[in-house]
Amino acid sequence: MIPTAWSRYQLSQLVNKALSLPKPVPFDFLLRGDILRSSLADWCTQNGVGEEETLEIEYIESVLPPQKMADLPHDEWVSAVSCQLDRCFLTASYDGQLRAFDYSQKQTWSTPVHRAAITSFCIVPNVEACIVATASHDLTAQLTRISPEDSSQASKPLASLHLHTEPVSAISANAAGSQLLTASWDGLVGLWSTEIPDEDEVAEPATVERKKRRKVEENRPKRKAPSLVLKSHTGRVSGVSFSDGDEAYSCGFDSTLRSWDLEHGVCATTITCSERPFLALSVSAAAVLASSTDRTVTQYDLRDPSPNASVTMIHPATPSCLARAQTNSHHLLTGAYDGVARIWDLRSVKTTTPVATFKVWDEKKILSVDWRAGGTVAIGGEGGLGVWKAWENNT
Amino acid sequence: MDARSKQPVTVSALSKKSMGKRKQLDDAPAPALLPQETLEMLSDEEGADQAVSDDGQVDEFPQIDAESDEEDTDEDDEELFESDDGSENSFDRDIFPRPKTIISDITGQPKRVYPEIEPDYDSDSSTEDTQNRVGDVPMHWYDDLPHIGYDIDGKRVLRPARGDELDKFLETVEDPNSWTSAFDKTAQMDKPLSAQELDIIQRLYANEVPDAGYDPYEPMVEWFTGKGKEEVMPLSAAPEPKRRWVASKWEKQKVMKIVRAIRQGRIVPSKPKTSAKLEVYSIWSEPSSSHPPPLPAPKPRLPTNSESYNPPEEYLPTESEREEWEKQDPEDREREYLPKKYSSLRLVPAYDQFVKERFNRQLDLYMAPRVQRVKLNIDPSTLIPKLPSPQSLKPFPNYKSLKFDHPSRARCLSISPDGAWVVSGDESGVVSLWEVMVGREVKRWKFESKIGAVGWCPRTDVSYFVVALEETIHCIIPPHISASLFQSTKALLAPPTLPPPPETPSPVKWVSSTLTSDGPTLSVHLPPSSGLPKQIAWHRRGDYMATVSGSGLHGGVWMHQITRRHSQAPFKKIRGVVQLVLFHPSKPHFFVATQQYIRIYNLAEQKLLKTLMPGIKWISSMDVHPSGDHLIVGGYDRKLCWFDLELSAKPYKILRYHTRAIRSLAFHPTYPLFASSSDDGAIQIFHSRVYNDLMTDPLIVPLKILRGHAVKDGLGVLDVKWCPRHPWLVSAGADGAASVWCS
Repeated sequence: MIPTAWSRYQLSQLVNKALSLPKPVPFDFLLRGDILRSSLADWCTQNGVGEEETLEIEYIESVLPPQKMADLPHDEWVSAVSCQLDRCFLTASYDGQLRAFDYSQKQTWSTPVHRAAITSFCIVPNVEACIVATASHDLTAQLTRISPEDSSQASKPLASLHLHTEPVSAISANAAGSQLLTASWDGLVGLWSTEIPDEDEVAEPATVERKKRRKVEENRPKRKAPSLVLKSHTGRVSGVSFSDGDEAYSCGFDSTLRSWDLEHGVCATTITCSERPFLALSVSAAAVLASSTDRTVTQYDLRDPSPNASVTMIHPATPSCLARAQTNSHHLLTGAYDGVARIWDLRSVKTTTPVATFKVWDEKKILSVDWRAGGTVAIGGEGGLGVWKAWENNT
Repeated sequence: MDARSKQPVTVSALSKKSMGKRKQLDDAPAPALLPQETLEMLSDEEGADQAVSDDGQVDEFPQIDAESDEEDTDEDDEELFESDDGSENSFDRDIFPRPKTIISDITGQPKRVYPEIEPDYDSDSSTEDTQNRVGDVPMHWYDDLPHIGYDIDGKRVLRPARGDELDKFLETVEDPNSWTSAFDKTAQMDKPLSAQELDIIQRLYANEVPDAGYDPYEPMVEWFTGKGKEEVMPLSAAPEPKRRWVASKWEKQKVMKIVRAIRQGRIVPSKPKTSAKLEVYSIWSEPSSSHPPPLPAPKPRLPTNSESYNPPEEYLPTESEREEWEKQDPEDREREYLPKKYSSLRLVPAYDQFVKERFNRQLDLYMAPRVQRVKLNIDPSTLIPKLPSPQSLKPFPNYKSLKFDHPSRARCLSISPDGAWVVSGDESGVVSLWEVMVGREVKRWKFESKIGAVGWCPRTDVSYFVVALEETIHCIIPPHISASLFQSTKALLAPPTLPPPPETPSPVKWVSSTLTSDGPTLSVHLPPSSGLPKQIAWHRRGDYMATVSGSGLHGGVWMHQITRRHSQAPFKKIRGVVQLVLFHPSKPHFFVATQQYIRIYNLAEQKLLKTLMPGIKWISSMDVHPSGDHLIVGGYDRKLCWFDLELSAKPYKILRYHTRAIRSLAFHPTYPLFASSSDDGAIQIFHSRVYNDLMTDPLIVPLKILRGHAVKDGLGVLDVKWCPRHPWLVSAGADGAASVWCS
């Protein structure tokens, strides 16, 4: 029995005392999937819960307002960021360059990879070298060996992936680093192996300047063909991802989410929504989170192919990117075109307000977010790269 | 002898107006004074002129009433004649100016020179307007000359300056006399009509005799008949015919027929008239048959328990009931009284409503209509037509997803057929290519002059867009397209073997430039001074493209065929200034919008099919429904007209919802949506469902007003276009922003 006049602070004190924690930790409280923001009595009257009922209150560790750590402006818009490498942030931008920044906010390394804008990149897990796969507007994706720690060593393009006839929008590697998925505006999803072939698998289109080509023969990447082409999308494919169990998922502007049977190259499951062109997706064990242009981020259960969302998060602007927390699978970070990044708790299914909101730029679009284990958040977009600290602990 | 002959004339003239005086003159001998004075005056001046002036004088002689005596009349006469005297003298002077005799420079002979006539107040007006002495020759002989004739001195009379149509219009507004002026051929200018001429025109309008002095009702002059002129002598000496005195047999037969009928009683002589005495009869005795019987008067209500002076307690109102009753209007009350309790009949006061109640009862009996009046209780909300809620008509754009900024006013934009790229042009000559979903500019072209229109070729096997500048149209291939697409586009725009030039040389030049890879691949040079092309309209197959220039030959409309590299003007001559053109989405029809009308031509048969009259003062935009059966037209006067092309030449619906001029209209190619943008900075989205069933009218539902563009220099949103596959809208505003609106 606790007094109904209590609000979050009193409940948090109670939990701290009950757990006899050495250092007080702020907690938030979930009541039937809703985060408690006022007193218990207010919540009861708002939700029509009688005074006689027994309420089950779940406590979760609260997310403190994130703090800005660094702002690294770029000349061009940053289309993708990654903090998977140790001790540095990698960014890909619209001028076709990859850049690396260390923790002292210095640009340690940069290399041009594509002639056109890079839309997306991923780091291929590899024990020997650091290999990056980039997708670009120039209709190809590319595998490049880079060495961001050692600035003396030049990066080497290993292979270019030739399949798509329109700009490649997303690229993703599986956990083992053996396979790659690319998504393109032409509605195709390509499956590639990461092995570098010795010969060109795709013939080069006949060009007049043969002599010039000879000169750069050594440095030229090998032209690689896909191992499988997955055709099912009727519109632009905007996002593609491997799950932990090496299943492939894709989402597109045709308002579908698809999972793929990679052995047979056919579409295994399709979730068709109505008028919800998807922009990005993130896959966890059995749930797929996808952001769409109707300003929502929704969670779908792939075991149930009905288009009923289990969680819907409504944004005031177009959510362009999303990333799950590395350690705490309940937390989700989304970036939107209004320059505001939001952290959501997937357990509070009812609420439409995020647990934390921070404005990265004023009226500048966020195009990519990434979350490093330990709570550092990298945000890339129109204003460059922003690094923020979001506390994240396991409870 | 002259004086003697004049005297009777004067006398008769004097007496013409008053017959009474004439009699006096005739009867009585004339007084000695009168003839003497007249004689005196007449002896002063002589000649024919005098007689004329005398006659004129007589006409103007004032009416004299018969009672006035002779003396007065004579005095009047005297004065009048005297004044006449003076005026005659001055008249004489003016008509005959004294000539001077000088020696001519040319001939050496003496010649008479008359002084110049000064155009003063009382100069003759007939000398003014005959400055041009060219005579009765056709004036078009002088059409090519700077002058229009010669004056009396043989000098050239220069052509007066004539304003254009606008001046004429302004003159009609500003000059109050302009509507009473007419074009004078001889002077080649507008001359105001004189009061007499206006009077003639007014008389002609009123179907009257144009001459003001003509009196159609003047008394008849009896020349041949009348009193004293009777003919006495018979005209012929023939004897009287017999029929003049013998009774007619035929008439006798007729009379006898009537007599016989009277005798037999077939004709009854009329009854003697009854005396006009009122007969008394009962008006209530028998009911009038034609009308339904009147309703019985309503009966007064019987009193109930509550009207008792001592009603039971349960009839008495509570305090709240009493308050409620007092608050209500007398008409709305259920009862006219409140029950009251008195302990004894003694204490009951006089009934205060007695007079009023009797009066109402009398009204009921006497004046009130005996009809049960049914009050109409209509909820106004039910009269509003039922429209589906906008929520049920999703998807439609409802928020601004992103914004792309131009350095100056964004004029035009176009979206690629796959819906991925937007190309937008502004007034400083910048053309930008950017992604719809991210808004990142991928490439930028800079031109010297401002961009009039951009248009993306609707073909999917090639990819290029067209930018219209001042007198030039550039075809540009966008970057980041696949090699095969690039090759086919290159082969189309810059083919290795040029197609044969047309037989007749065209003023439009097609130039391929292969120098720079990122510049325009193909340029079409329109004839000089054709102005900025306002619009590019593509045919659905992407081979033909129509452009509308601001000025130039053939209404500024050019039709370009890309494969044959050939341009032609479809119209030799077109009435009005062409605003817009459009291709029909399925038929070979061509819409041409001038300022007020829309004409539909069949291009295959080369003929005019239809003329639509939207009733808009100045058309600014139009778009055709993808089915091709409906057309929307917007105007600068804020109106939007929806035409059903199979229905009539008049609009099916006229909507006026923008507060400023409509700038752009667009139908979505697949979704049932259309959008209109306006100078008030707002974009309005409409649901427009068109049914295949011809009996069902199109459904137009307003969905959303998108605000977000700033109004700059009185200009708002200049162009809107839809993304082909999604319900997304892209708009270009005068504030330099190009915005993407997502659902």
